[in-house]
Amino acid sequence: MREERGLFGHLLPYLYAATFIVVVWQLVVTLTKPHVSLLPPPYLVAQGFYELVASGQLFVHAGVSLARVLSAWFLSMLIAVPLGLAMGRSRLIERLVDPVIELLRPISPLAWIPLAILWFGIGESGKIFIVFIGTFFPTLLATVAGVKGIEPHLIHAGQVFGCKSQFALFRKIVLPAALPSIITGLRISFGTGWAAIIAAELVAARSGLGYLIANGMEILRADQVLVGMIAIGVLGVAFDAGLRYVGRRLTWEGAA
Amino acid sequence: MSEPQNSSQPGKSITVDGVSKIYQSRGGGEVEACRRIDLEIKAGEFVAIVGPSGCGKSTLLYMMAGFSAPTTGQILCGGVAVRGPDIERSMVFQNYALFPWLDVRGNVEFGLENKGVPRNLRTEKVDRHLKLVGLSEFADKHISELSGGMKQRVAIARAFAVEPGVILMDEPFGALDALTRRFLQKELLRIWREQACTVAFVTHSVPESIVLADRIVVMSARPGELKSMIDVDLPHPRDSTSDGFRDLERRIYADLDEELAKTFSAEGLLG
Ligand SMILES: Nc1ncnc2c1ncn2[C@@H]1O[C@H](COP(=O)(O)OP(=O)(O)O)[C@@H](O)[C@H]1O
Ligand SMILES: [Mg+2]
Repeated sequence: MREERGLFGHLLPYLYAATFIVVVWQLVVTLTKPHVSLLPPPYLVAQGFYELVASGQLFVHAGVSLARVLSAWFLSMLIAVPLGLAMGRSRLIERLVDPVIELLRPISPLAWIPLAILWFGIGESGKIFIVFIGTFFPTLLATVAGVKGIEPHLIHAGQVFGCKSQFALFRKIVLPAALPSIITGLRISFGTGWAAIIAAELVAARSGLGYLIANGMEILRADQVLVGMIAIGVLGVAFDAGLRYVGRRLTWEGAA
Repeated sequence: MSEPQNSSQPGKSITVDGVSKIYQSRGGGEVEACRRIDLEIKAGEFVAIVGPSGCGKSTLLYMMAGFSAPTTGQILCGGVAVRGPDIERSMVFQNYALFPWLDVRGNVEFGLENKGVPRNLRTEKVDRHLKLVGLSEFADKHISELSGGMKQRVAIARAFAVEPGVILMDEPFGALDALTRRFLQKELLRIWREQACTVAFVTHSVPESIVLADRIVVMSARPGELKSMIDVDLPHPRDSTSDGFRDLERRIYADLDEELAKTFSAEGLLG
């Protein structure tokens, strides 16, 4: 049985980590006395944070980044999961698709940014494209691995107990059996997508947390840069925790 | 001899007709797992298949299930050629092969749902079979919360619940401790008697085969052929200390020892 730690119990390690970072940060500022435009002290950043929250700007930028990631992530899931299920079950499909995947996969989503700008300009579609590249492969690979890892007798049991068609077998055995792995893949790919969108926004955007940071650099406001970075970290952790929770709820692995 | 079965569900016969199975191994070589097997299992009969490990017992059972086709020969169930897995031939696996994303009830209900049994009838059948294996209180439990013995009881309930003509069991108690095993053997016999169906039961335990079966098929070392066929005419419950039991045991072990000697000499372990 899992111990119920409550919300505070779950937050405690993060509070500890945040305190640790702030203390070290303050120490560095106190000892080395950098110029505020390079490394402002925590309280100044807190003030900047408050201003960006009060003006609503932080929410706008965070919302824009999240919307981009979520839509691209969802889109890639719609393609990667069915393709991964098919690749995991069919040697032929795997042989056809896998070499292409293996060739494209080492190319970082960031390396696609120039092409994305050439093809799509700096509008939304280019960013969705970048995040799509970043989220597609982790989801696909986790799905393939999940399907291949299915205990062969589970498939046999499915057939014996009445899954007559391939479709029935997919729906009633393959998908639920691979679900824990698929959800892990989706969690990981959300992380890579979140990293990719910030990078894409750093290069070419008029909005989003990446833009907020890039803009902070241009106007020499290190506090704005740091506020953006903190927002990225907090949102990343929050989404990962949320997805982990959903994963536990949705699948049998966390149920015992 | 076992009593004539409750005939609401008569069970189906299995005919293995000149069946051989040759696997193509990865390196390009061939493994002959079964050779020219002829076997007739009567409707409602409980047949145990024993043999040295690797002699093709699972291979034979999986061909009966329809997972793979014989290289030569054919298998009939109730006189009809087996073409693939079907719910009329249900199965109990050694490693349980329960669906971990479903609870106990969901596992037993799975086959019934696919058979198109209406919901209220389904619930009734699940309840009855969970009761048969003594797991009524565990219906809502998660599979991962069960012990090995309980898991295998769920698997037995799942296999019987669909009221199949034949149940195929591949060393179902092989992974269990001796006491649990003994208990489940008794339960299996009780359920089988209540719900007549044909059983093909693979085991490498000679005493287990004598406790359970009407007839014991001894297979030779690979490539598995039929070595001998032994009727068990002892009354149930069978006492493993009785003379009749001991005699059978001696006969079967004598046959198996011959085969094991072949296996080991083939592997160069004996002179
Ligand atoms: N899918 C397969 N491909 C190749 N060889 C196999 C396959 N399944 C079983 N074999 C081989 O066939 C022989 C019989 O295996 P099996 O039927 O599992 O024996 P048993 O159940 O009696 O221990 C073994 O030598 C095994 O290695
Ligand atoms: Mg076996």
